[in-house]
Amino acid sequence: MKLTLKIKAAALIGAVSTVALMSGCSMNPSASLNGMKGDGHEYLLTVTRPNQLHVIDTETKQVIRSCDVPGVFGQGTVEPSPDGRIAYVGTNKWEDVAGFDITNCEMVFFAKQSDNNVTVKSFVSLAVSRDGKELYTIQNPTRKLTDRYEVMQPQLAVYDTSAGLDAKPIRTFPVDRQITKIMAMDTGEVILGGNDLQAINPQNGEIRMLSKLQHWDRPGDKWVQPDAFAMHSLGEHVDEFIMPYFTIKWNGDPGDMEKAEFWWGMSRVDLKTGEVEQTETVPFEFIVFNFITDPADSNILYGAFNTLSKHDIREQKTLAVHNMDHTYYNLNMTQDRTIYVGGTSSDISIHDPETLEKIGSIQLPGDMSTSAMRIAYLK
Amino acid sequence: MKHLKSFNKKAKMLDQTTSPDQVEEVVAMQTIVGCTSTNDPGWEVDPFGGLGSLCQPMESDLYGCADACWWPAQVPDTMSNYPDWSQDVSKANEDWRKLDGIFPEEQK
Repeated sequence: MKLTLKIKAAALIGAVSTVALMSGCSMNPSASLNGMKGDGHEYLLTVTRPNQLHVIDTETKQVIRSCDVPGVFGQGTVEPSPDGRIAYVGTNKWEDVAGFDITNCEMVFFAKQSDNNVTVKSFVSLAVSRDGKELYTIQNPTRKLTDRYEVMQPQLAVYDTSAGLDAKPIRTFPVDRQITKIMAMDTGEVILGGNDLQAINPQNGEIRMLSKLQHWDRPGDKWVQPDAFAMHSLGEHVDEFIMPYFTIKWNGDPGDMEKAEFWWGMSRVDLKTGEVEQTETVPFEFIVFNFITDPADSNILYGAFNTLSKHDIREQKTLAVHNMDHTYYNLNMTQDRTIYVGGTSSDISIHDPETLEKIGSIQLPGDMSTSAMRIAYLK
Repeated sequence: MKHLKSFNKKAKMLDQTTSPDQVEEVVAMQTIVGCTSTNDPGWEVDPFGGLGSLCQPMESDLYGCADACWWPAQVPDTMSNYPDWSQDVSKANEDWRKLDGIFPEEQK
């Protein structure tokens, strides 16, 4: 009896040891991440045609994984989860959201937003709560009737990120029209970027004003209401939301262009505190589609379009301008301050933050179109 | 319009869409994505009256306009009406010649 027990115990210990050996790889962080680096290693995420999510190692500047996204190419919006593991992608004609584990391309989340005769479009709007448990979209529904379309009330839709491949909203709240880029803050609120910057509480739908743009309080005979390009979500590298705008200051009569000043400005929100900074930044001398902040100095901005430019907003001066090979819509920056310029066409251009000179390029298999270019900090 | 009186439901709805309140909701560049009509000039001229600040070359901007329905008069919108228009052409900068034009379907 004792012998039998000892044999059983030995067998059990052996089995446990074997399991431990076999699963030893799971104790190795690199193995559990399928060879990718954790501890906040930076991976660049973007989407190209026909419809693929690409994971790029910012250390090697190589595409390490391309995940097939279901549906027709949508908008290429990407939102990384706070742990950097999941990339949520807007797809299928701007209607659906798919979430992928970037370590193995497994689709772990899917939300089909349109239903029957109601078509739902989400323009750019995609955000994840700071604890990673909830996903937010702005739904713009249109009902197709026999003789006309009925434009319905836009709404914030809240999803449980653990809902799997048939996710349905767990809460919805009405919001204004024309909301595009959104981001979650540590306050628990979600920034709504549209005509103005608002913050909505996704628990009860309460909305407060963060930064007025179309409804700002400046006198109309002195300033033109700002025009913002609210197309790409940016700022995760410095934990901020940034909305650039253009405005005109009338020094003479309104419309007197000879005396007018043309300005870039921005509304910038600290995602940790919700504090907002709204200011004119540099004179408007050329087109910039998107600006980002230098992680080493919040007074330094970089902008991209037909040029890559560097600006000191404290001095209100443009410090450097570099002509690009072609138009690029957006840009991003790693913590070592390497600049990645992308969107449009099929290459990401890499630049030095001091000289703005091109120092590299990443070729992609398809066109980025309006796609985002976000950084996942894989834990 | 002040000399015309709408008499059915659809005409009254059209009247409502052109009320001053609605017109004021239409702003310039801001959030025009999504097939809304716009008076932005398209690819013809930039804000300075020249060409230097247009997207260059046009092929770099082609899908950015098609997917967002940005210039629906100039390029087919893949957001709603022509989702399959360019599915076989992954790189507009290399294979733009393979993209066909779109023509209205004949009414039968």
